[in-house]
Amino acid sequence: MAKVTRAGSVAPPDGGWGWMIVAGCFLVTICTRAVTRCISIFFVEFQTYFAQDYSQTAWIHSIVDCMTMLCAPLGSVVSNHLSCQAGIMLGGLLASTGFILGSFATSLKHLYLTLGVLTGLGFALCYSPAIAMVGKYFSRRKALAYGIAMSGSGIGTFILAPVVQLLIEQFSWRGALLILGGFVLNLCVCGALMRPITLKEDHPSPEKNRDHGTQRGDCPQASPYSPLTKEWAQMCLCGSLKQEYGFLLMSDFVVLAVSVLFMAYGCSPLFVYLVPYALSVGVSHHQAAFLMSILGVIDIVGNITFGWLTDRRCLKDYRYVCYLFAVALDGLCYLCLPVLQSFPLLVPFSCTFGYFDGAYVTLIPVVTAEIVGTTSLSSALGVVYFLHAVPYLVSPPIAGWLVDTMGSYTAAFLLCGFAMIFSSVLLGFARIVKRLKSTQLRFLAKESDPKRPLWTNGSVAYSVAKELDQKDEESMAAAVTGCNLT
Amino acid sequence: MRSLTGLRALVAPGCPLLLLCLLAATRLDRAEGDPADSSFTSLPVREEMMAKYSNLSLESHNISWTEQSSAPVEKNITLERPSDLELICQFTTSGDLNSVNVTWKKDDVFLENFDVFNTTKVGNTLYSQYRFIIFNSKQMGNYSCFLNGEEELRGTFNIRVPSVHGKNKPLITYVGDSTVLKCECQDGLPLNWTWYMSNGSVQVPIDVYKNDKYVINGSYANETRLKVKHLLEEDGGSYWCRAVFQLGESEEHIELVVLSFMVPLKPFLAIIAEVILLVAIILLCEVYTQKKKNDPDDGKEFEQIEQLKSDDSNGIENNAPRLRKNESVEQ
Repeated sequence: MAKVTRAGSVAPPDGGWGWMIVAGCFLVTICTRAVTRCISIFFVEFQTYFAQDYSQTAWIHSIVDCMTMLCAPLGSVVSNHLSCQAGIMLGGLLASTGFILGSFATSLKHLYLTLGVLTGLGFALCYSPAIAMVGKYFSRRKALAYGIAMSGSGIGTFILAPVVQLLIEQFSWRGALLILGGFVLNLCVCGALMRPITLKEDHPSPEKNRDHGTQRGDCPQASPYSPLTKEWAQMCLCGSLKQEYGFLLMSDFVVLAVSVLFMAYGCSPLFVYLVPYALSVGVSHHQAAFLMSILGVIDIVGNITFGWLTDRRCLKDYRYVCYLFAVALDGLCYLCLPVLQSFPLLVPFSCTFGYFDGAYVTLIPVVTAEIVGTTSLSSALGVVYFLHAVPYLVSPPIAGWLVDTMGSYTAAFLLCGFAMIFSSVLLGFARIVKRLKSTQLRFLAKESDPKRPLWTNGSVAYSVAKELDQKDEESMAAAVTGCNLT
Repeated sequence: MRSLTGLRALVAPGCPLLLLCLLAATRLDRAEGDPADSSFTSLPVREEMMAKYSNLSLESHNISWTEQSSAPVEKNITLERPSDLELICQFTTSGDLNSVNVTWKKDDVFLENFDVFNTTKVGNTLYSQYRFIIFNSKQMGNYSCFLNGEEELRGTFNIRVPSVHGKNKPLITYVGDSTVLKCECQDGLPLNWTWYMSNGSVQVPIDVYKNDKYVINGSYANETRLKVKHLLEEDGGSYWCRAVFQLGESEEHIELVVLSFMVPLKPFLAIIAEVILLVAIILLCEVYTQKKKNDPDDGKEFEQIEQLKSDDSNGIENNAPRLRKNESVEQ
């Protein structure tokens, strides 16, 4: 068994079946993010049918968005323990059931449960595993692959919005929900495309691979060895949890997590408040809608071109820097926004903000993969998207409260701008500190042991961790031999 | 109506004798021949009317031309309650104003000279003012002023009751469901709303008390909602909502379409079939490629071991194949 696993261990293909994975992830992004945005088209229908006002119906969208992000770690757990294919197919079935049950709803509460909770849960089971899968199949062209995959939300919204409108006109909202449920079932097709791939681990030694393999694979088989069962099982559980969520203790990841909180706080209000702000400075309705369209289209362009750009050899090692540059530029755009008071000034703002918004969205999985490696990428992405949930929920109401109390949009936009700039400054600062430490350590290590190879891909953690890992290996080897004796 | 405006003109300066003569004249010279008009020519009713509408609001509307703009102008006026209406056409020119002749028409019928429209000239501008009380639906229509000078200038005031808005597109519903048809009037407050259903050309009023099927209510006075429950396919068709004002009525038409649940079910089942087919194809492809990979021919074993060697080529040596190779070399 172990031999076959090792024979199947390959380097990321960077092509071949990888492009089918990208197509699958593209479709997943369309079916989850784009469909979530198109749910707001149903609100007018719900308002008339159920005789409720806008704030009650808008809860549906908030519940779906919140559930998708909050349950993202659950999605990673399911796909890690079952398989990526099974996880995404299950998610597709759940989401589709939510839509189908929603088409029979007789009150708004039913819609909260079916269209909100059930569909959101289904989407959560699909989203982060699909994105993690793309990371496993690509390394050289990772950013381009992510760019194409993430552009699905923009392109999907563009295509689905008129289609949903047409469906509502032809079949009314019940029929439209039913047909959308069928469309969302295509997530199962995406799930089938996600063929599992076993990669070489990021760490160098195959003995380590084998030990980790036995640690995971042999855990259920440990029960025949009765005296050591309990200890072994405990060590097994702790070990597997430690392996799955060990990245949570990495300082790099903690810094990324905090910066993601601030970044998610900053980026969400613009999509809610750009149109009201434009109307308040005297732009007409048509022009304000045009601004939103520009934002959407340039978002797609930013996704793909920035992904391609950061794959170039000259920028490949600086993806982290490109990410924090994109976030910082978006923050600067926010700071300039209160000064832009006419349509000809708002158009370049839309273009710039949209481009860099698409840019950093593409780079989030890339930067996460650089920090935690490809094995833990699924769980790490789950945590990162989980951290998006609370700011997404909290930020638009806070901005709205600021607009109401101050009477203008300046305070809200300045707060968002500073949040994003703080996020990128934090990342930059952490990187500088790490560079300083690594130059110090390198200096020390060179003096002590000139023969030991040092992993110089910029991460201090690797050279220190190698020593720790060797100690782990020794204890593991002792346990294995002890086990085999009984 | 002509007689009424004549009345107004004479009542204002207060000349009862001339008034009586005129009344007699109009009764004989019945060009319009409308029996209802005669009620307005009798004095007691007129006084009653003046008392009733003593606190009318004055509405003034005006169309103006200059020398450059001489295209016909139209202005829309919405009235829902009786008003004291003043229509003014004004023309500014540096040329000769004395040659300009003003006439007024209502719906292509000339208004007589004794009706109250008076023309004044102030400096370079000619003003022609037509003032009257509107209080019933027959007075609604298009009032035009014609200024015949060097060119003919024409201005039209379209006086209408507020219009009612429903839904432009047909309302789609399903059998067994219930739906709400909504009509609203943005520019005014109707006195009353009624609903009709038309099969073909006949409009049948909707009976709310017949069974539990229809409920009419509205949250505000300027909108009305008709709720239809337990829909059947026969309930599909044209529905009319009519708003009643003091000065007339306006109505709007809403189309209701009742579908059976089979209609959206067909595309849904088509999509489900496509999904199942694609999933089956992809999974079968995967199983096939896995079988090909896991099915070793004898000759491939050596190649697999070579692959193992190249996979582990990060400095750690794999002794077993190396030994075998050495053995074969020695042999």
